Amino acid sequence: MALFITKRLLMALATVLVVAVLAFLLVHAMPGSPGAVSLGAGASREAIDEVNGRLGWNDPLLSQFFRWLGDAVQGNLGTSLIDGRSVSADLGNRLPVTASLAAGATVLSAILGIGLGVSAAVRGGLVDRIVGGICGLAVALPAFWIGIIFVYLFAVQSSVFPATGYVPFEVSPQDWGMSLALPVITLAVGGAAFIARQTRASMLEALQQEHIRTLRATATPTWKILYIHALRYASLPIVAGIALQFIGLFGGSVIAEQLFAMPGLGQAVQTSVSTHDAPAVQGVVVIATVVVVAVNLVLELATKFLDPKLRAS
Amino acid sequence: MSIETAERQDTAPVAPEQPMLEVKDLLVRYGRGRKAAAAPAAVDGVSFSIRPGETVGLVGESGSGKSTIGKAILGLQKSAGGTISYQGKDITYAGAAERRALGGELRAVFQDPNSSLNPRQSIGASLAEPLRIRGVTAAVAREKAEAMLERVGLPREAVDRYPSQFSGGQRQRIAVARALICEPKLVVCDEAVSALDLSTQAQVLNLLADLRDELGLSYLFIAHDISVVQFLAQRVVVLYRGQVMESGPAAAVTESPKHPFTQALVAASPVPRPAEQAERRMLRESLGVRTAAAVAGSPGGCPFSQRCPLATELCASQRPALRRVGAADVACHYA
Amino acid sequence: MIPNVAPAPADSAPATAAAAVQPKSGQRAAFSKISASRLFASPGGVAGVVWLAALVVASLTAQWWLPYKTEDQDFTAVLSGPTAAHWLGTDELGRDLLSRIFAAAAGTLGTSLITVIVGVVLGTALAMVAAGRGQTEGGISRVTEVMMSLPGTVIILAVIGAVGTNIPLIMAILGVLISAGIYRVMLGQAKSLQSQLYVDAAKVDGVSTLGISLRHVLPGLTNTIVVQSALIFAVGMLIQAGLAFIGFGPPIPQPSWGGMIQGASQHVYDAPWLMVPTGAVLALTVLAANAIGNALGKAPNTGVSHLPSAAARRQRSVAAGAAASVAEAGAIPAKGHLSVRGLSVGVDGGTPLVTDVSFDVGPGTVLGLVGESGCGKTMTALSLLGLLPAGVSATGGQILWNGKNLAAATEREMEGIRGRDIALISQEPMRALDPMFTVGYQLTAAIRRLRKVGKAEAHAEALSLLEKVGIVDAKRILKTYPHQISGGMAQRVAIALALSGRPRLLVADEPTTALDVTVQAEILSLLRSLVKDTGMSVVMVTHDLGVVADICDNVAVMYAGQVVESGRTANILDNPRHPYTLALLAADPHANTAADMPERLATISGQVPQPKDWPTGCRFMARCQFAGSACAAPVPLLPSGSEDGLVRCVKADELAVEGLEWLATEVPTHRVLKIVEKDLA
Repeated sequence: MALFITKRLLMALATVLVVAVLAFLLVHAMPGSPGAVSLGAGASREAIDEVNGRLGWNDPLLSQFFRWLGDAVQGNLGTSLIDGRSVSADLGNRLPVTASLAAGATVLSAILGIGLGVSAAVRGGLVDRIVGGICGLAVALPAFWIGIIFVYLFAVQSSVFPATGYVPFEVSPQDWGMSLALPVITLAVGGAAFIARQTRASMLEALQQEHIRTLRATATPTWKILYIHALRYASLPIVAGIALQFIGLFGGSVIAEQLFAMPGLGQAVQTSVSTHDAPAVQGVVVIATVVVVAVNLVLELATKFLDPKLRAS
Repeated sequence: MSIETAERQDTAPVAPEQPMLEVKDLLVRYGRGRKAAAAPAAVDGVSFSIRPGETVGLVGESGSGKSTIGKAILGLQKSAGGTISYQGKDITYAGAAERRALGGELRAVFQDPNSSLNPRQSIGASLAEPLRIRGVTAAVAREKAEAMLERVGLPREAVDRYPSQFSGGQRQRIAVARALICEPKLVVCDEAVSALDLSTQAQVLNLLADLRDELGLSYLFIAHDISVVQFLAQRVVVLYRGQVMESGPAAAVTESPKHPFTQALVAASPVPRPAEQAERRMLRESLGVRTAAAVAGSPGGCPFSQRCPLATELCASQRPALRRVGAADVACHYA
Repeated sequence: MIPNVAPAPADSAPATAAAAVQPKSGQRAAFSKISASRLFASPGGVAGVVWLAALVVASLTAQWWLPYKTEDQDFTAVLSGPTAAHWLGTDELGRDLLSRIFAAAAGTLGTSLITVIVGVVLGTALAMVAAGRGQTEGGISRVTEVMMSLPGTVIILAVIGAVGTNIPLIMAILGVLISAGIYRVMLGQAKSLQSQLYVDAAKVDGVSTLGISLRHVLPGLTNTIVVQSALIFAVGMLIQAGLAFIGFGPPIPQPSWGGMIQGASQHVYDAPWLMVPTGAVLALTVLAANAIGNALGKAPNTGVSHLPSAAARRQRSVAAGAAASVAEAGAIPAKGHLSVRGLSVGVDGGTPLVTDVSFDVGPGTVLGLVGESGCGKTMTALSLLGLLPAGVSATGGQILWNGKNLAAATEREMEGIRGRDIALISQEPMRALDPMFTVGYQLTAAIRRLRKVGKAEAHAEALSLLEKVGIVDAKRILKTYPHQISGGMAQRVAIALALSGRPRLLVADEPTTALDVTVQAEILSLLRSLVKDTGMSVVMVTHDLGVVADICDNVAVMYAGQVVESGRTANILDNPRHPYTLALLAADPHANTAADMPERLATISGQVPQPKDWPTGCRFMARCQFAGSACAAPVPLLPSGSEDGLVRCVKADELAVEGLEWLATEVPTHRVLKIVEKDLA
């Protein structure tokens, strides 16, 4: 088990490193040198070159990368070319927003999805078809479209939830929850649909296993067969599905943050890319990857822990 | 009511020339890396040979390595040591091109009739593949396929049908047809009848015997059922955990086995005659063979020592060599 | 926002019971051919194809039929709803929505196709390479793992930063990212195809690795390729729309669906209708692609749930209530005595599988149900417990046990009997145990439930049961998981589990078929001693006549859903009366010692008839050497003359003549052993 954890950790580190290299290269491929970007249009050639020289823009790529890496490991991701603020500080403020959003959406998707999937699998018939239809529709509608409709229904027509904005948890837990409600629900619609499908399929497969017949032969009550044995068997692929959903939802938050005006990482990606803010782009890509990889690692370990074949070895 | 029998030939025609197939000290390990090297080998120093026209039966339980030996001979499994020679040529590490060059002389029939034919290819295409790959034209290949189908007792029209339209026994016969379409000299039958019902099994066994007599084929017949092997083979090699326990003429090994494992194996095979079966049961229980333990025995000694009623410390520490006892070669210190 | 691109689980339709009860040879999952018929059979699939086709045609011919140019602004009709002039309304600049939507369609569809092609081709190629060579698989899998754990949208946005909004290029890079997910899906399938025996056969032929991949693996992947293509197409469109929504769509003059929704979102307060047309078209297109994918991906599900749905269970109770549940005329069997009378089992509303089966099992005796595959022995055995698969049920006759007719009992009544009165052990012990729980948990849970005792007592009882079935280190085994023990030990555990309720009758469905012969001998000895010690009776289903000879006191030989012969084992095996039994024994190599092993074994021409082809007369007639005209009428089970034996054959008396001898005869493709009357003189 320890060997397994170590291997996974190494993989996670490798992933982050690969992404760091990738981000570095992408940033260098972006149009406009840092000098041009920070000084804006109309700056003189000399001023631009001076800024670039100061930032080491013309040094060999490898040394630039290692310099950035060294700084990053110490927590310094450079300063934004646009507003001169520390990238790490800015992202540090934004991280809780996206984290609450992605985590909330994943949890809600999981609860809704598993509930719907299990009832579809267990009850079959009409319930199954209805759930299948709803899920099919939920998956086809783009998240941003759903979000706008929700805004229309809940914020414009009625004032149940705020349409935009984010309230940090420390300021007011209640308002924090309210500000997250609409974005989380929006993202959870699609997420729940996928998890429901996965759950349904896994439950049906679990019920086809031969040990279910043994359980019936020993007079196990039906509820136990379904919710203890079949669900346990299905839990492995379901958790794997949830892990995948989190990765997707993290990216989905880019859209949601735009739509609901939330100051998270997604918003940062959007602005830094459109303004060609090199250090910010690099920083946010790496931070986003670190978060996703970390959560993925935890969920993977959870999956493996659930699997007796790996746990007992 | 009794069953009349014709004279059986227990030994193949004596051929002074080189053996058709010779396996020497074959060693096969599963997996890679240090862990695999430390684990007991799947096949651990097995040697036997097959003369032209002879059928050799390879018998053993699960984990005995019998299928692995078949796979190694066919090139489906990598060997870790030892040699496999076909008509004197070393084919232990032969690649795809070398196997093609063998000209279709070394063929196989596998166990599972459901997956031994490609369900998306017509019977004709499956039968023709080994010929086409050797440059035979489509028309000639089709003609040979039809002829072969007839030989195994299926209609010629079957050549355009698909495997799903046939029963398990018929598919196994098609597999035999595919094995024989290149006019081979040696056919490896890896549990070829184990997945079949009794009556279908009889059909396929009869077919194999017919073709053997007609074409003078050699078979390596791998099975877990010693009676089935007895029907077809002239010589039998008994395996346990990757090592040869006993090897000799079929009648001798199955009627009067010398090795404790062979004795246990033979005694445990039930016969459909209640009175006789009751006697065999007494005999089996009196042998005193212990249940297989979960953990394999120590690497140095006889693999059967953990279960053997005759086992001593010598058995656990020193692997017995094959020595002649009566008509067979036996790997036991005390046989 | 990137929806889950990992395998969208194919909607599995509940299988028909007929699929589950086919003889072994036909049960293998059907190969996946792209069957257009499957696509057109599904209404969703048809609708999807129609919509997509219409959309493609409309967008390709757009320049000829669009009423307005995409940039035509009409300030007199800004933000209008549907009108005669503008069928779908106008946007904030007065531009016609209908025209803009269809003008954007071509670009969207085309670029999504790029993602599909790049992703599927790359993913499939990598999967085939990885499946073909074990060494490269590790490396490729690691790389794709890294790719799959990347936050896709963020990466794509960074790429956009570098290359600008070059949509085709962006979609191609998206395809590369998605190929990792495709790889995962394809790898599993490719590997399973590689492990098929026909691939081994091709290798023996000398076909190269590339040849095998192309000729044997790729054709098997085509269905999945098409399904995944449809799903990825949908994903590509959604992602494109999302990117356009946040401002990274095609350069300004070109309309895009995402951009249009973005514009609409600004006016959700004053013109909410604006959201609908574009959203609807986008959603319908995605739905169409998904529907096509699902229609093609509906794999024929060969598995059947072992737990009948609530509806089915209620149905059984209703049917049971209607039927008689008390024994009819005839001697009511004593307690502990099982009497099956005229039992028939069949697919609901369809083909019969077992007809008119009768036998008796006294306490402390073992009955063998022997026959080849498809004869109905397993169905008969399962009906004793009411554990027939979904869609199959007892259609007639009685199973009399302790004063009740089990064939007509409700599910509730059966739950009271299972485990406590009648128990089950199955063929594959490793699969019969729950892999997620320890042996100890499963055993103690059963004991607590069936004997109503506390935890500590159940634990002690579990230990003693394991010792009773011959497991030496019971304490350790209780803590292990099923995958950690051998097959023989797992079967012992399964027997202990079956004994936990102290049953009077044990139904054993081929319990030793999957075990080595030495282990089989041990299990059979165990069963014998259990019968002797506890006095319980056993119904043993098997295809092995040797097992019957070893352990069964009585035997019923089954063929094509009927009992053709039954009686004491010694009589049946030493002196069979039915031609089928005769032929079976003559086909069995075990029946001979090495000394008198025949040159050829007896074979029976023809094949077992399928249930739908069963004739009204003797079902063995078509294959029987002795068939005559009298055999065409239904043949009842009649006393055979030896003790309590019964036989279903009109010629039984003829064949019972002493002194028959078998002679091998020549028949073109197989040998038939002919019965020749010996000259008694």
